[in-house]
Amino acid sequence: MGDPFSLEVAHTLSSCMSGIRTAGDLVLRMQLAKSMRIDEAKKYVAEKLGVEPIDLSDSDRMFEIRKKLNLGRPFDLNRAPRGIEAKINIARVLGITINSVELFKEKTGF
Amino acid sequence: MDKYFTRMGDGSGVYMSAEEIKEDILQGVKDAADRGKIPELTAEEMDYIFEIVTMPGNIVGVERGREVVNTSDSGSCKMTYHANIAMERSTSVLVSEKVLGADSVDIGNMDYSYKAVKQIVHNETPVMELAQLNTVMPVLYGSMPNLGLYTKPDGPVDNWSELLPMAKIDEARAAQEEAVEHAVRDMVFVAGEMYAAGADGINLDTCGASGDADYLASLLATEKIKEKYPNLGVEFGAAGEFVLGMHGKLEYEGTRIAGLYPHKQVKLAEKAGANIFGPVVNTNTSKSFPWNLARTVTFIKACSEVAEIPLHINVGMGVGGVPMTEIPPVDAVTRADKALIEIGKADGL
Amino acid sequence: MSLETILNEAKQSILDIDQEKATAIAQQALDEGLDPVKVLTDGYSVGIREIGELFSRGEVFLPEMILASEAMKAAVEILNSALEDKASKTVGKMVFATVEGDVHDIGKGIALALIQTQGVEVIDLGRDVPVEKIIEEAEKHGANVIGTSALLTTTMPNQEKLEAELRKRGMREKYKTIIGGAPCTQRWADKIGADAYAEDAAEGVTKVLELLSLST
Repeated sequence: MGDPFSLEVAHTLSSCMSGIRTAGDLVLRMQLAKSMRIDEAKKYVAEKLGVEPIDLSDSDRMFEIRKKLNLGRPFDLNRAPRGIEAKINIARVLGITINSVELFKEKTGF
Repeated sequence: MDKYFTRMGDGSGVYMSAEEIKEDILQGVKDAADRGKIPELTAEEMDYIFEIVTMPGNIVGVERGREVVNTSDSGSCKMTYHANIAMERSTSVLVSEKVLGADSVDIGNMDYSYKAVKQIVHNETPVMELAQLNTVMPVLYGSMPNLGLYTKPDGPVDNWSELLPMAKIDEARAAQEEAVEHAVRDMVFVAGEMYAAGADGINLDTCGASGDADYLASLLATEKIKEKYPNLGVEFGAAGEFVLGMHGKLEYEGTRIAGLYPHKQVKLAEKAGANIFGPVVNTNTSKSFPWNLARTVTFIKACSEVAEIPLHINVGMGVGGVPMTEIPPVDAVTRADKALIEIGKADGL
Repeated sequence: MSLETILNEAKQSILDIDQEKATAIAQQALDEGLDPVKVLTDGYSVGIREIGELFSRGEVFLPEMILASEAMKAAVEILNSALEDKASKTVGKMVFATVEGDVHDIGKGIALALIQTQGVEVIDLGRDVPVEKIIEEAEKHGANVIGTSALLTTTMPNQEKLEAELRKRGMREKYKTIIGGAPCTQRWADKIGADAYAEDAAEGVTKVLELLSLST
């Protein structure tokens, strides 16, 4: 996205997946990790989560799936995994290496 | 005759007839095809751009299921520095994630250049470390290669912007080549520090802003970063729709860099090992939004057809069809998004 | 050689970036008694504008453009020698600065190189130049036109400040002003009261010449 900062809202509403409200973060991880184009990345993530690609942008569907798989959500009051905890689960579910997770393991003797 | 509300490239509102809009779309497409030596859009695609431009809603959206993902350019520091909200940057990362629904964000410093950041990287890495502990979405570190900063009086090499007007071409070229080495070293160094702090990726933002040598430095840095830190994602964002030839003779893998348009730039980014490429198409402020949008989509579609890595289009003030104004109107921004994704086949923004 | 051939050769010498040929054609034009102003306007100038257009499309690069403008300058020097009236050698004077707080001068350098080829004496004030200094230099050099470049939205207000300062000093009518730089627009020029806006270097040439025709 470009400048200035206020555009983020417009893009998100109009055309983006909405990050951890849905599965946007997971799809982006596949682009960063494996250079997957959007359809391939969605297909990959959908298969790992056991849903159809179109479900990945459905916040209602994904709220439940993220809860079930402990992948982190925008708000969660019941001692749900946060930050690095959720990413440990994401790395396992997606079958990828996440840099911060590896460092966390290294630092904690995980 | 019915008139539709749209905008000029400077953001001002304008009413245009259907015929005028269609003509501008056609001319925008032709301009891109002519400059980029790429195919024109089809008649159906131009009709669809017309439909998008003239849709009645103030904002429009992509079809369900066509949503893409976003990366940002200095996303975290925009709240802290630009909006001047007293907020530590790792906190603004959380706001982006939990409140704004971002798919990712990059942490950037107010002095947004790798050369500047190198000096203070020990104070930048704790921000990344804290963000990584608390954030679920990918967090990158971003900055500009900014080759111009390596020239005197700010840097060690002669200033080619001063040498060129004096027709000291050889000296200007030598200075640029020397600056490339410094810039590559700084980018790789910062990337290494950020990798050690847990970053998911490094964002080389506005590659080529100082011309083809700047672009070459970014390509070489990408190569080295991927070689040293294969797990660190690299986003390679361009500075302009074609690479400005300040040197003119530099090559990467046998291809001359100067003058390359997005569909050729992406192939170099791929060769260097970039994971995401961010193409730019500049907005012409004197032309209408339909003209700019059609032109942008033509370039992006051509780029998308040859790309093997995801494309995150720069869609913001003065780029990606969006008017050049500090508060880009949402009607234009959302229409640009829709056209770039549904016709241009963008993978992200 | 016919006038048409000379004009075409003059243009081509610039497009070919051939300084030797450019000067030879200029000399030949004088030897054959052709009007040097016509040779400059309809020959060399056409070539340099085409080079500017090719540059704006990414088909010619800055070093080539600089060399083309050097070739043109050499040809212009020869043509100028035939003009008895020294004052007519320059069509006007311009001071050109990147405004205070802004160190971007790539675009300004390109515009400057092109404008110079048109017989305009351009005094480059460099970058990060305060408004007071710009006015001082314009006065000192007896400029007709003041050009300012700004690449940042944060430094654009200095272009507005220049207009205000000129008005405050009662000097606004004395100069024509032209602005440029990525965030600038015609709307911005209208808003602050600048006389012209140029989107790129090639347009800068046209606009400066227009301003000079108005100011003289």
